[in-house]
Amino acid sequence: MALPLPPGLTQNEVAFLAEMEMVTVVPRQRLDSIDLLGGKTPQLRPPHRAQLPLWLALLLKKQRRANIVPPAWMHPASLAEIIHRETKEDPEAFSPPPPPPSRALYSQPGTARRLNPSYLDDFTQTQPDSQQDPNSILSPPFLPSNVAESPAGYLPYHWLEVAEALLTHAGDDMPAPAGEVRSLLRDLVEVRAAKMRSSTSALEGFGDAWLTLRGVGAMELAENRAFLAGLVDGVRKIGASAEATRREEEEEARRGGDYGGDGDEDSDEDMGL
Amino acid sequence: MDIDDILREVDPVSHQIPQETRDLQDLTRAWVAERSTPELLPWPSNGLFERINDKIKRQIEKVEEMTGDMDPKTNFALIVIQTELERYKYLVRSFLRTRIAKIDKHLLHYISNDNLRTRMSQIEEAYARRHQLLLHNHYLNSFLGTFPPAMQNLNDTAGNISMIDNPDLDSAVFIRLLKDAEIECHGVDVDGVLTGKEGDIVILRWSDAKGLVERGDAELV
Repeated sequence: MALPLPPGLTQNEVAFLAEMEMVTVVPRQRLDSIDLLGGKTPQLRPPHRAQLPLWLALLLKKQRRANIVPPAWMHPASLAEIIHRETKEDPEAFSPPPPPPSRALYSQPGTARRLNPSYLDDFTQTQPDSQQDPNSILSPPFLPSNVAESPAGYLPYHWLEVAEALLTHAGDDMPAPAGEVRSLLRDLVEVRAAKMRSSTSALEGFGDAWLTLRGVGAMELAENRAFLAGLVDGVRKIGASAEATRREEEEEARRGGDYGGDGDEDSDEDMGL
Repeated sequence: MDIDDILREVDPVSHQIPQETRDLQDLTRAWVAERSTPELLPWPSNGLFERINDKIKRQIEKVEEMTGDMDPKTNFALIVIQTELERYKYLVRSFLRTRIAKIDKHLLHYISNDNLRTRMSQIEEAYARRHQLLLHNHYLNSFLGTFPPAMQNLNDTAGNISMIDNPDLDSAVFIRLLKDAEIECHGVDVDGVLTGKEGDIVILRWSDAKGLVERGDAELV
């Protein structure tokens, strides 16, 4: 009954999460809007494009009712640029994640604002209280980062899962032969895996227990999670008693400092005589 | 169709995210968070699970209705609805199973502390109490009954060591920052302050990350 897995998402769960990403689809048949638990699906009228979650897009593709439009970052030119950035320009860190989506404002022509429901109250004016609701900050897999309009040259968070799914099931929709895209993806996977492995060396420095991994992908995290978490936890447990003594000493030093160090001055004066 | 509908179709993101999508996002975030932390998180407030349970029940009824209808056009919609239903059920099941696993691991810890008891839903609390009772009675019948009466308790705190296990609040977790933030991190040899930008993925101790996650400045990954 109870889930026997250790904390942290497994690869299967990450793949499940990635299937919630939205992708652009070109339908081949009409389909009415279906009332799903997660909202209504858009009405499909060929040849208009529509945005659907990946799991639904794959289902339609398997039944030959739609074609999937691959996102712009999966184009071989874009992948080559990313590989170049990862190997030559920034061999230490991962390539940056895509920028947050922005939208032009209706009420202030010429200004663009970050895509956030609280800022869209400008247009709808239904909510007088537009305080920043934490739930309204969109993050993967709810960011529109795999639709046809997403910017090229950036790897979204679920890039590996989405790329694998699209290559396996929609290989004929790719802008280039699937083999070419696959080989580029392999290169990318290798480069980033090497970076992931070497990132732990940054942890060796001063026994630090924190590390920033900006731009890492979901599947890479899932694969290395056990290793990294085990490493940090292991270092922490080994140094637990040393850390406890260090904190006690710091506490005492702070408390001793509060009393003004009178004891030391007295003894100095005594010695000066 | 009036002008508002047409405008909404042209610029599809210009209206409020509907409640169902927000529920799905909340459910997903709650699931990821619960799977990633070593300790039990508070039961989601604002009636999220009651709404989701209701909707799942109604959807199952709808599926049963549609299965009886032999029209080939509704067949495909049926497949889609069933697939999505399975996905929802998987999320809900995995979420609940994770919570039960965490409760089982540190039963007395969650029952004895008042603050922690409010984190469980009513059903979970009833389950935890009954489980603890069954376990204790089982131990008493097996071997604990032979101990002297003074040693038959499971929550002994004598001798500066408590018998109740606490979950390890310093385990490493991965978070994604939703806003730029300065995080105070505790390490083995040094403590430091980490300046994080939005979109950073950081690994640090759960005790450091907890404040950020509760305020909504970061989410678990």
